[in-house]
Amino acid sequence: MIEGLRHIGRIVFFVTVQGLILNRMDLWQGYILPALYIYGILMLPITTPRVVLLLAGFGTGMLMDMFTNTGGLHTSACLLLAFFQPLVLRVLSPREGYESGQRQTVMDLGWGWFFAYAGSLTFVHHFWLFFMEQLRFTPFFSTVGKVLLSALTTVVLMIISQYLGYSGKDRRNS
Amino acid sequence: MRSLWQLIFRYHVFLLFLALQGVAITLLVRSNSFHHHTWLSSSNRVTGALYARRAVVSEYLRLQSVNEELARENALLKSERPAAFLKLSDNMYLHNDTVHLRRYEYTTGKVINNSINRPKNYLTIDRGSRNGIDVGMGVVNNGAVVGIVKDVSEHFAVVMPLINTGFRLSVKLKRTNAFGSLEWDGGDPTLIRMNDVPRYANPLKGDTVVTTGYSAYYPEGMLVGTVDSYRIPEGENFYEIDIRLATEYYRLSYVDVIRNLLAEEQIELENAVANDDD
Repeated sequence: MIEGLRHIGRIVFFVTVQGLILNRMDLWQGYILPALYIYGILMLPITTPRVVLLLAGFGTGMLMDMFTNTGGLHTSACLLLAFFQPLVLRVLSPREGYESGQRQTVMDLGWGWFFAYAGSLTFVHHFWLFFMEQLRFTPFFSTVGKVLLSALTTVVLMIISQYLGYSGKDRRNS
Repeated sequence: MRSLWQLIFRYHVFLLFLALQGVAITLLVRSNSFHHHTWLSSSNRVTGALYARRAVVSEYLRLQSVNEELARENALLKSERPAAFLKLSDNMYLHNDTVHLRRYEYTTGKVINNSINRPKNYLTIDRGSRNGIDVGMGVVNNGAVVGIVKDVSEHFAVVMPLINTGFRLSVKLKRTNAFGSLEWDGGDPTLIRMNDVPRYANPLKGDTVVTTGYSAYYPEGMLVGTVDSYRIPEGENFYEIDIRLATEYYRLSYVDVIRNLLAEEQIELENAVANDDD
């Protein structure tokens, strides 16, 4: 129960940070648009049932859409992310499976693992987000570049927040 | 029947995904239509209040440019006061107020949220239905067009700016009176494209572009921007003109909302005629 509240709290926190701070930053004249708010979904426990994960994605996206007046844009992208998350986790699973209590962090599973995990899911999310937003494929390469650079920035921000919120093995809320 | 349940049970995750995705995409498509009321918007109570808090902080950082802007406007207004004019003739004249009917009313609002780097940008202002703001009103800043009100709540309103790919506005070149329609392509927030300008329009770099006053949102002659570059695409008969916007969206802090007191009358009449034709 407490654990669940903690996860909801993290999602709300990162959505607020995104809405109030990150969306105001004009990185490289608005070409790079990191979406750190999905971090709350990525950090949901490995054993989360898929139905719960989808509902969490839906809720997170709705919150973000309220901030940015974008209808169901973020909701749609978050759903896609929540749908693929268990599949990516399965593909990246270590030979012996995940240990109980293991979290999707650099500290628990290593740099390479986290890059593959966060990188692939962030790419899926950003790709869907930017292309749904444009709703046309004309400036294809410019948008792909935007997706790649934004996704990279998002992953870097995730790693930074992971280190900022981490102080010893026993703390679980970041 | 039983096998149907089994099927649903086996694919329940995917089916749930499809159902939720359907909801999301419906919301997205509906929010893209020009006049639709968006219920998931920052004019709602919670996010609106949060944005207002943040605006209090970021406002300080912009005080200097806001001051300059206000000082400029003050100077302009002072120069239009009767005391600023020298009487050249002793002939008295009467200024009869009943000849003039007030048509436009202005309300000032503060921008509390603003995006410029998306294809569909919006800005939120801290004036809502309580202050008489209504959907469809024009928004300007220092006499330059900003956008139109898309959604209102009690204390806040969401404005769709010119730099939103869903925005359409008919404008004209002030010098030659040639009409065209504005459409933003989702790229540079300082430039906008004017389409369908006839060949005889003869645009020049630096020409002023103003509103036509055909729509009920804006008075005629509101500044939009100046011509930056123009061309006639191969095999076409119309100019494509790039216009440098007069409104600098990245430093917008105060705007005026225009209430057209005669809008209803105009729209009603136009609709009545349109219905007769059907």
